[in-house]
Amino acid sequence: MKRTAAVLALVVGILAQAARAQTPAERLARGIRAYQDLDYDSAAAAIRGALAGSGRTTLSDSGRVRGLLYLGATELFRDHRDSASAAFRRLLLIDPRYRPDQLVFPPEVSSLFQDVRLATRAVAVSVQPVTQITAAGDRLVVWLYATSYHPIDVTLQRANGALVRTLYQGGAGDSLPVLWDGRTAIGSPADSGHYLLRVDSRGSDGQVVRSVGLPLEVATLRGDSLPWPPPPGATLFKPEHAAGGSGVSALVTGLVAAATVVALPSLVARGSSGSGDRFAVVGALGVAGILGFQSLRRPQPIPENIAANLALRLTWQRQVDSVRTENASRRRTGRLVIRAEAVRVLEAP
Amino acid sequence: MIGRIAAVVLACTLPAGALGAQGLRNLSLDAGVSRMRFHSAASGGGEALSGIAALGRARFFVGQFSIETSYSEGRLVPDTGAARYLVDGSVFLAGRPVSWLALRAGPHLRAYVTPGVTERWVMWEAHARVDRPIIAGMLDAHVEAWLALSSTVNVDPGALGARGGQAGLILRLWQSPLWARLTYVVDQAKLKSNARTETVESVLFAIGLGGR
Repeated sequence: MKRTAAVLALVVGILAQAARAQTPAERLARGIRAYQDLDYDSAAAAIRGALAGSGRTTLSDSGRVRGLLYLGATELFRDHRDSASAAFRRLLLIDPRYRPDQLVFPPEVSSLFQDVRLATRAVAVSVQPVTQITAAGDRLVVWLYATSYHPIDVTLQRANGALVRTLYQGGAGDSLPVLWDGRTAIGSPADSGHYLLRVDSRGSDGQVVRSVGLPLEVATLRGDSLPWPPPPGATLFKPEHAAGGSGVSALVTGLVAAATVVALPSLVARGSSGSGDRFAVVGALGVAGILGFQSLRRPQPIPENIAANLALRLTWQRQVDSVRTENASRRRTGRLVIRAEAVRVLEAP
Repeated sequence: MIGRIAAVVLACTLPAGALGAQGLRNLSLDAGVSRMRFHSAASGGGEALSGIAALGRARFFVGQFSIETSYSEGRLVPDTGAARYLVDGSVFLAGRPVSWLALRAGPHLRAYVTPGVTERWVMWEAHARVDRPIIAGMLDAHVEAWLALSSTVNVDPGALGARGGQAGLILRLWQSPLWARLTYVVDQAKLKSNARTETVESVLFAIGLGGR
């Protein structure tokens, strides 16, 4: 007799150890099989056990959603309507967009789920992990999915809770995009740091019934302005002046012409001494020759090269102006990199 | 006198207006005044006159060729003898075989008008002119000589010949179509048998527009 009792105790212990060794996923699968076998009591026990896992032995979000759905259906068929509603509410708080498959669950399950969904005020938040705001039209886009239509407030806060900007106040239905251009309430680009995008769902009495927060890490991109274009190298410029000549040719030309004026009367009009008036021309030619002599000894400008160099400088100046304009635009816009972290529930009933 | 000069300038301006800016490049107009001295020497004596004349000139360029017309008119007051009017006009066809040399030929008419008598000269002349820059694009000097290939005069014993020359400078304003010239001109015409020589000297100043 004692021997039989010992063997029985050993078997029970082994079975209990085996049961404890089951993973939550395995328990969930066992519970779903029991539900499908219409063994609702066993199903409820197994699913609750799966959902109650802790630490490293917990279900994933999708597993919890699936478990809660089957738990709700199980409790409904066990005539525990409140428990069923509670399970569905927990499901919707995890995934407000979830809907039961009507091919799998009977209409009474879908109907209860719909009732619970309409009575639940929760919002799911979806956002790209990384968003860059580099141009004037860039925005951080946060998609909000509500279980049912209800008023919400979307605010941006610093990590210490200080309000940075209210992004949205109003009703939220099925889905709602909320945009942030990276600026504070006064229009200046946001500083680097940790922010919290907070979504408050309000009840029919205006009280906040649930809040979720999306932690954001904002980094401003400093030093990403365009560098100044380098000025044209000295080798690109052409010489603007040619070396001065001797100027002798100018002097000779002027003096020869002046001498011609002096000699013309005797060459052309023999017997005529010529009038003194012509010495005005002689003087002008002599002065012109001397001026030419002086002028040509100085470096002579090369108009084509001066024009080419001016065009080169103007091209560079236009590039500088373009960079200045672009950098000013970037400073006004503020270049931000926004990294979104996991959404967390801040307040819940 | 001024009216006739204006007519010459106007006659040359009309085609320039029709040509617009392109015409201004192909047309040159200038007008000014000249201080003239006339000296006549004859075996029986001579006379000397001086005065101011107004002048106008128009040149129309076609490629390396040009047509040049000029007109001047002035009153010469005698040092000795009777006063007379000098009327001078010419039409030349010019060519520029090289940039520094211009050749011209054409009729040159000159009349000395005194009450009751008008002495008319008709000369067919050939000119050669050399242009040299003193300061390129700004100051040019020029020297010109000419010879009458044939000449007639309505005074006995008839024309023997004529020749002349001129030298001066042209000042061009920087990047402007305006320019100015100061020129000394002298020519001498002879009657047959050395009966008389007539010498005309002038220092002229003119302001011009356009041209090359």
